[in-house]
Amino acid sequence: MKKGAIFGLVVIAVAIAVIISVYSSSSSYGSFNDAKKTAEELRVVGHLDKQKELYYDAAKDANYFSFYVKDKQGEECKVVYGGTKPQDFERSEQIVLTGQMVGNEFHASEILMKCPSKYTQDKIELTDVKAKKPVNI
Amino acid sequence: MDKAFQGEHLLPGHIGQIFVILSFGAALLSAISYYFATTNKNPLDKSWLWMGRIGFFLNSFSLLGVVCCLFYIIYNHYFEYHYAWAYTSKSLPVYYLVSGFWNGQEGGFLLWTFWQAVLGNVLIWRAKSWEKPVMTVIALSQVVLATMILGVEIFGTKFGSSPFLLLRNANLDAPFLSRPNYLSRLNDGQGMNPLLQNYWMVIHPPTLFLGLASVVIPFAYAIAGLWQKKYKEWIPIAIPYALFASLVLGTGVIMGSLWAYESLNFGGFWAWDPVENASIFPWLTMVGAVHVLIVFKNTGHSYFTATFLVLASFIMVLYSSFLARSGILGDTSVHSFTDLGMFWQLVIFILIFLALSIILVAIRWKELPIAKKDEETYSREFWMFVGSVFLALSCLHLILVTSIPLWNAMFGTKLAPPINLVAHYNVIQAAFALVITLLTGFTQFLKYKKTDSTRFYITTLVYFGSALLITGVIIFITVLYHLQFVFWLVMLGSIYSLLANGKILADAFKGKFKLAGSAVAHMGFALMLVGALIAAGTRSVVSKNESGTINLRGFTKEAGDVHENIMMYKNEPVTMGDYQVTYVGDSLSEPNHFYKVDYKRLDDKGKVVEEFMLKPNVQINPRMGLTPTPDTKHYLLHDLYSHITALPPISEKPMADNTGGAHGEENDDSSYDPPVVHEISIGDSIPYKNGVIVLKSLNREANLQNIPLGKNDVAIGANLEVKTDHKSYTAAPVFMIKNGNVFDFARKVDEAGLKLRLTKIKPQPDNKVKVEITVYEQPENKKPWIVMRVLDFPYINFLWSGTVIMMLGFILSIFRRNKELNVE
Repeated sequence: MKKGAIFGLVVIAVAIAVIISVYSSSSSYGSFNDAKKTAEELRVVGHLDKQKELYYDAAKDANYFSFYVKDKQGEECKVVYGGTKPQDFERSEQIVLTGQMVGNEFHASEILMKCPSKYTQDKIELTDVKAKKPVNI
Repeated sequence: MDKAFQGEHLLPGHIGQIFVILSFGAALLSAISYYFATTNKNPLDKSWLWMGRIGFFLNSFSLLGVVCCLFYIIYNHYFEYHYAWAYTSKSLPVYYLVSGFWNGQEGGFLLWTFWQAVLGNVLIWRAKSWEKPVMTVIALSQVVLATMILGVEIFGTKFGSSPFLLLRNANLDAPFLSRPNYLSRLNDGQGMNPLLQNYWMVIHPPTLFLGLASVVIPFAYAIAGLWQKKYKEWIPIAIPYALFASLVLGTGVIMGSLWAYESLNFGGFWAWDPVENASIFPWLTMVGAVHVLIVFKNTGHSYFTATFLVLASFIMVLYSSFLARSGILGDTSVHSFTDLGMFWQLVIFILIFLALSIILVAIRWKELPIAKKDEETYSREFWMFVGSVFLALSCLHLILVTSIPLWNAMFGTKLAPPINLVAHYNVIQAAFALVITLLTGFTQFLKYKKTDSTRFYITTLVYFGSALLITGVIIFITVLYHLQFVFWLVMLGSIYSLLANGKILADAFKGKFKLAGSAVAHMGFALMLVGALIAAGTRSVVSKNESGTINLRGFTKEAGDVHENIMMYKNEPVTMGDYQVTYVGDSLSEPNHFYKVDYKRLDDKGKVVEEFMLKPNVQINPRMGLTPTPDTKHYLLHDLYSHITALPPISEKPMADNTGGAHGEENDDSSYDPPVVHEISIGDSIPYKNGVIVLKSLNREANLQNIPLGKNDVAIGANLEVKTDHKSYTAAPVFMIKNGNVFDFARKVDEAGLKLRLTKIKPQPDNKVKVEITVYEQPENKKPWIVMRVLDFPYINFLWSGTVIMMLGFILSIFRRNKELNVE
């Protein structure tokens, strides 16, 4: 067999291995219900329930932030994140959480949020309607 | 008809829009003319060529016009234009107005097409016999790019998005924009995203876009070679351009990561964000292409791979622009743009050039000079070829993962990126890096055509043995052994590559100077990997926080035990790693709020060995909330990186220190604990939570500004000293009787969280005096505080210096290849 052919096979094998490893390590988007059924980490897409309390008290623990999220099925769950409250959290329209259920709480290791007003310019602020809002990082 | 709007400056926009349309028309004229100039059989007929040139000059000129008009609008704050309003504001300094220019997508395209025009002019000057076919391709690319900024509607379809769009035409949900006097109510633009207000953002985008634009040159040569059946001739000419593209693109990408390191807060220099990944697709394929182009030039092997990678690099440029701009990355990227309604236009952009490449290769397939004989196993060309293929495979992996949202859109699947995304990228890319570094090492000991295998094995093994030893030492010193095994191997590969290329560099100094370029570039690349590996792999959290944590059941390491943030009250030192850290104060320099944090490093005896101040800042932006920017202490061998992660709500805390004791009157008792009254004499002390308060003396002639005292009035000041563990402060609250009424003036010691009042004077029989001091103590959570995250990046300077060395290597190689070209 020619060396070129052997190398060609090697390349194809590596490419297939890469595809399989990407596919097998890819996760899925689920709901809190799915999270309750599995012990593994998964991603949950939902939005922040702005009616309920966002708890972050740096004096008690600078690495504890909890809030409530409604997933796409409409199920709500308390979420705990072991870090500080991300900036502009209240403004987020959509949240992608990565983590797992611990008891009745969803423990997130990563929060990805989308704040549409941040990178698109769809809101106009007029000088006469500008209000001071409470700020938090 | 059109309503009249007051105060608008429509002229620069009109002129700009005319230039936009002119640039499109001129590019089209140029492309068509160059096409006919190429196919024209009569060598004496230069009319098409001149038409093509004039078209291209006109295109360049009008792009310059577009740039001037847009800058004029931004510079003069004409917020009636959407672009100026959306990305700039009056308070921005001029150099950020410049970067506001490429803040939006339109500006990005403009920058790209502008650079491509510049490069086109260089080619008109330098390409000689290649000008006609090469410029046909470049002019075609200019045509397509021009459509991106056209902003014209034809048959109900919008083509491109113009930078001269008026705010009132931008379909914003703001009814007031239809009023004739809307401009008088629009005082300022939205301003720039604070994250982008960094000096790297002034030079990173132009560099990156020059890199992206320059990929078109080798592509154009490859197409021209296929089209004109000059299969071999284009290759040596394309090499310097391919090197140039790799150089500039690489520099641009690294500048982006420097920006991320200095102004973003994810705590690192590379986050594997889809948009970041997309920017290195073309770099990987281009660097691969450079190697196989050289192989073909020297040995006639790897023709197809060379052509393929050159063509693929340009397709990758288009693809990465599609990923960043089409909005498809929505859920997975933090800094992709949203769709401007150009999704299909971007897809068509890719398809045009993809089809052109595939069809030309297919038509010419049988004539391509593909070597029939295999390369020798012990030959440099074979392993350079292998290396290039692995660069392409590493790119393939990045594409697969980055494009997951695209696969979902195409196949209706619902895949999410891997849970531990960064680890996934790190491990798999490390495997590729291992192969590539080993190849850049031992290939140096091989010659083109054929090498004596015994000698090769001996040298290779000697160097490998030395590399093994050195790597062992490095892994031990940098505690890299905590990492997975694959990272040890990458370290080994990088050290091996450093040694092998070091030898070549030593030879270069002995006279074989032309080899210096590749040796330097390879060493730079290896050094970069060493730096990245140690810095990212052994990065440690200095602000680890075990105290005061709410116990979370089941919060394991895997689920993200990220106790990386530490809270500090003002003036209360906290021990953090080797440092004693104190948050000592604030300073405000609009719009940035700086937090002064004092770092002391103590030796065993408690003596201060080192003291410095870091000032991480937070920008208070009404539209985007608070944006923190890190501050870093740079050492030669490591960096101490700190940034603010949480603050008390701004309204509750004093903005600056200079308020002193000026506010006795205002009633802010609610922010203190209930007061405690103490009756004391001179010399007595009052204990409080963090120390003691001593009554030093009484001042019977206290005077207060603005309050003149009458004959029967009395004002007594109590000179108090507040002693905490570390510092002492003085305060002098005043008790006053004026016109028979009793007043007292409180004094605050903000640093100690105290408010003190002198509330009663009680003369005693023995001519002594007792006074009543009322102490207001701030509860802990009302005191000013910050939460910080502090990281230590060891040996990160290897990463940056490696990059600079690699760039130097590219420059040396460009000179060498260019010289070779002139000799031929």
